[in-house]
Formats: sequence, structure tokens, C-alpha cells
Amino acid sequence: MKKLSLFEVSYKSLLRKKTRSVLTILGIAMAAWVLVSLFGFNRGYEASLNKDIDNLGFQMLVVAKGCPYEAATLMLKGGTGLKYMNETIAAAVAAEPEVEGVTPMLMQVVFDPNKGESGGLAAYLGVDPVSFPKMKSVLPFKAGGWFTEPEAAEAVFGYEAAELEQREVGDLYLIPEKEVEVKVVGVLERTGTQDDGTIFLPIKTVQRIFGIRELTSIGVKVKKEADMKAFEDKLYRLPDVQVVSLSQVKTTIMTLVSTARVMVFSIALIAILIALMGVVNTVLMSVMERRQEIGILKSMGAMASDVFRLVWLETIILCVSGGLIGTGLALLTARLTDILVRGLLPFSPSGGLVSIDAGLVLAALGAVTAIGLASGIYPSWKAARMRPLDTIRSEVES
Amino acid sequence: MTMRSRNRRPAVFVLAALGLGLAAAVLHAAVGCDLNDPDRDVKRLFPGSTGYKTLYVSISRKGGGDLLQKIEARLGDRFAGLFETADVPYTMYEVYQGPDLIGYIHGVNQKGTYGALQVFLALDLQGVIKGFYFQKLTSKAAKAFRDPAFGGQFIGLSLEDFYKYDVVSGTEEPSGRISRIRNPEPAAERDFRAALRATKKNLVLVDEFLLGNPHLKFFKG
Repeated sequence: MKKLSLFEVSYKSLLRKKTRSVLTILGIAMAAWVLVSLFGFNRGYEASLNKDIDNLGFQMLVVAKGCPYEAATLMLKGGTGLKYMNETIAAAVAAEPEVEGVTPMLMQVVFDPNKGESGGLAAYLGVDPVSFPKMKSVLPFKAGGWFTEPEAAEAVFGYEAAELEQREVGDLYLIPEKEVEVKVVGVLERTGTQDDGTIFLPIKTVQRIFGIRELTSIGVKVKKEADMKAFEDKLYRLPDVQVVSLSQVKTTIMTLVSTARVMVFSIALIAILIALMGVVNTVLMSVMERRQEIGILKSMGAMASDVFRLVWLETIILCVSGGLIGTGLALLTARLTDILVRGLLPFSPSGGLVSIDAGLVLAALGAVTAIGLASGIYPSWKAARMRPLDTIRSEVES
Repeated sequence: MTMRSRNRRPAVFVLAALGLGLAAAVLHAAVGCDLNDPDRDVKRLFPGSTGYKTLYVSISRKGGGDLLQKIEARLGDRFAGLFETADVPYTMYEVYQGPDLIGYIHGVNQKGTYGALQVFLALDLQGVIKGFYFQKLTSKAAKAFRDPAFGGQFIGLSLEDFYKYDVVSGTEEPSGRISRIRNPEPAAERDFRAALRATKKNLVLVDEFLLGNPHLKFFKG
């Protein structure tokens, strides 16, 4: 009952200066809004970036030393220069504790005399029908799907490869030079990567058609907790392999993001400090205006601790109200923030850029309350140590 | 093996790929059919030429759905499949000798049995075929189709002749100059018909986009 009355007194004190109280709450709400949105952005951006990098399939590519690992380089080399490694290397890499999964690949190139005036090259990527689709689980299909059998005479076309060859699901395709027919079972959506121009076949089919039992590359998906750098060094101990690591990409992007994040957090910190000063100022002013009232309270028997709690409670009410409004605003405007940030950033990953969950909301409310508690100490202490006679006399003199 | 050659290029490559990924989300233009080496190919098809101008047109830009329907009617078949659409950009070449326009070159993609056929025609100012060749051809009978003797059978034909040819049934009523074009490889009948359909489509598009439809009067739709 006593606590409730204390709350009522605090609440009514704040109501006496409505405009000042509302402005103070708004200041805290803005700070909380910025805080929650920034932390939400920090989480969302990193999660989306991680997802995008995961969607690339594998973070490392182990290739035979000197072997061109992407089609463009292979074409530049005139389709020559393919180097092979033993299939056992895939098993050796898969056995490493840092590895979540591996997918073996075999690239082959043929000369197509009927491409252009003087012929051209056609490249095929043999992939494992089990492990490759798992790693490239987000490769969207425009039509069809992956292979039906591990050794099926089937092909999946990247969007541009399908467009160039005018192939659709159910069509046949002839591998030039080998004169082998394969059936098109899938056409991928356009992805903007080299997958668009790739013709995928089951790896065993490529090995059979071209009479090669070896591999040209192995895609490696590394466990999230693994030390990529140390693992990369470990892979270099394998004989005659070269490691192409996408971790460099992630590190580069995250460094850029971290720099921006430090700047943005500095701004947030300044906003919070300004809000904190606003709270201290408001409550202190309120205390100074109520000197006589506090003096009378004390002369009627109120203890210093009662006055301290009374003023402290006012601060907490201001901060908690501001915190609730601010986090509510952050939740309501998360989508808008996403759109605005996306428009400002030179590169933004797919997926939500702002991720606000219950944990973040509670943490922000806790932080704002803690700030309120801290900022209320000085005005409360000041009020608690007022001497009743001095305060009443000062009012009479004034 | 003590030296470690760590390639830094992948980082740049994948960053570029991520960037291109964004661009690709916006750009969805269908693939057209360009000459592989226009300078060389124009000279080869028009030996007396001194220059050329490249024009880019598409059905969707020139007239949309209505124009597509008219072109389909003139072709005698619907545009079909994932890649034969109204937004395919057609690359057309106007060929010049000095200041004088002397002819046109145009190629189209056509679905074949095992892959795409790219059929290019060199035409005079009246739309009569002066040259025919496959720039790209995926077929078991590719060698026979790419033989100059096969392409030579198209020389002198125009859209007036092809209007009598039904691309769906592969017949000509009444039998005329198209029926006299010999299939060099009977086992590759589908690719043969695809070549004829591609030629008719090519002529219709040139008539529509370059010649101002002088052959429309022969169309009995």
C-alpha cells in the first residue's frame, strides 16, 4: 500500500508539468528507438550476410594446383589446362573435424565445331547429385529439379545456358564431340553468378562420358565455429592442391560493416547521453521547484530514504515510459528502416536487414531502465539531503 | 611445395559476383542473336560493303501483344516456350556501300532437337535472301546442314514464297519453291523443319521491322 502511494505521488508530480514530462519521455523514446533499430540492424545485416555467403554453397574450393576453377578462366585458357586430383582427397578433406560437408566436382570441356564460324568451347560441370544440391539448396529452379539418378544421362541448365541452347525441361541436349544425348531435367532461375552459364551433369555421368575417374575441384562447407584461416593452412598440407577461400570475402565485407557500425554506435551513444542529461535536468528542475514541498514532507516525518525513492521513482517512470514507446516505434518501423537502410547502403544482402526479437526488446528496456536508475541517483540524492528548515526558510525569503 | 600461392583474386571475383547478383535481379532481358564478329561477317556476306549500322528492336517495344499476335499469324504458329517471347531483342544490321543502303542481315534463335539453331539471313532491299547460314547449330546432322549446298537452296527466296509454307505441318500448299528445299539428313527432320521455321520467322521480322511490310499483301491469313 505504501509503495502504491509512493508511485501515485511520483506520477502526480510528473503530471504537474505535463509538457516537460512528455518531452523528456520523447527524448528517451527517440534514444531507445535508435538503440533498438541499430542493434536490430547489426543483427539482421550480419545474419543476412551470413545467409548469403552460405547460399554461395561452400566457403572453400579445393582445386588441383594450377587448375582453372571457374569457367571464364577455363575459356580464356582455350579449354586446356585442366588438372586433376584423386577422389580420395575428397574423403580426406571430409574427415577433417572442421568440415560440415564436401562436394566433389569434375569440370570438362569439349570443342563444338558448330558454334560460330570456327567452332567454340562447351563446358560441363559434373556434380554429386546428393551433396551438391544440399550445399546449393537455395539455387532456385525456373522449371524441373535436380537429377533423378546418380548416373542418369540428365542435365540441369543454368538460366543463360538454357537460353542460349533454347533448352527446356524434357528437351534433349547433345554433348558435342562425344555425341552423347542427355535429357534436360531442370532449368535454374537467373542468379547473377557463373551458375547461370553452367551445364550441370551428375559427376558419375561426366566421369563415364569422358573416361576420367578423378576430380577437378572439391567444394568444402566449413563448420561455423571453425577457424577458417587455420583450416585453410591445414588444407595446404595436402599434396598438389590449391585452396580458394571465400572467407576473405566475408572478412572484407564484415570489416567494412564494422567500421560503419562503430560510427553508427557512436551516434547512438551520443543520443543516449543527451537523453540521460535531459532526464537528469528534468528531475533536478522538478526537485528544485519542489524544495518547500520536500521540506514539508520531511518535517512531517518523511525519511531521507522516502524522498530518495520518491524522486528516483519519477526518473524510472520517465525512462520506462520512454523505453516502451521507443521499442514500440522500433518494432513498428522496422520494415521502413529496412527500406531506408537498403537505399543508403552500397551493398546489402538479401533477406531482412533489421532483426528485432523479444530478447533485443527486453535488453533495450533493461538498458533504458538502468540508465534511468543511474541518471536518477543525483537528483534523488540531492532531494534526500535537503534540510526541512532550510527549504521552508528559502521559500519564505524568496 | 614450400611455396604457397594464395590467390587473392577470388575475393574480388566473388564480390563482383555479389554485385552482379544485384544487377541481375533487375536485368531480365532475353538473349538476342548477334553476329559473332560483325566486321568480318558483314564483309563476308556483302563483299562490296563499306559499313553497317546496328539496330535493336523487340516486339514488346514496337507494338506489344497486338504486334505479337500479328507476327504469329504471319508466321502461322505461336511463339512458344521459355525463350521465344515478345521481349527478345532482335539485332538487325543495315549494310551500306558508301552512303547507299545495299541490304540487311538478321539472325534468329530457333529451338532444335538437341540445342539452339541460330539462322542468319543476308537480304537485299526487297527482302530476297542472298545468303543463308547457321551461326550456331547443335544437331547430329550439323555437318550436312552447314554444307553451303544446303544454305544455297534458300538463295532467291522471299517471304512471298514462305507464306505458302505451313511451319506447323511442314508442308507447302500448293507445292512450290519451299518444297524443293532438300533435307540433307532425313533422320534430322525436326532440325530441318526448325531451320525452315527460323527462316520464315526471320523474314517476317525483317518485313515488319525493316522493310515496312511490303510482303503483307501476299499474306492470306
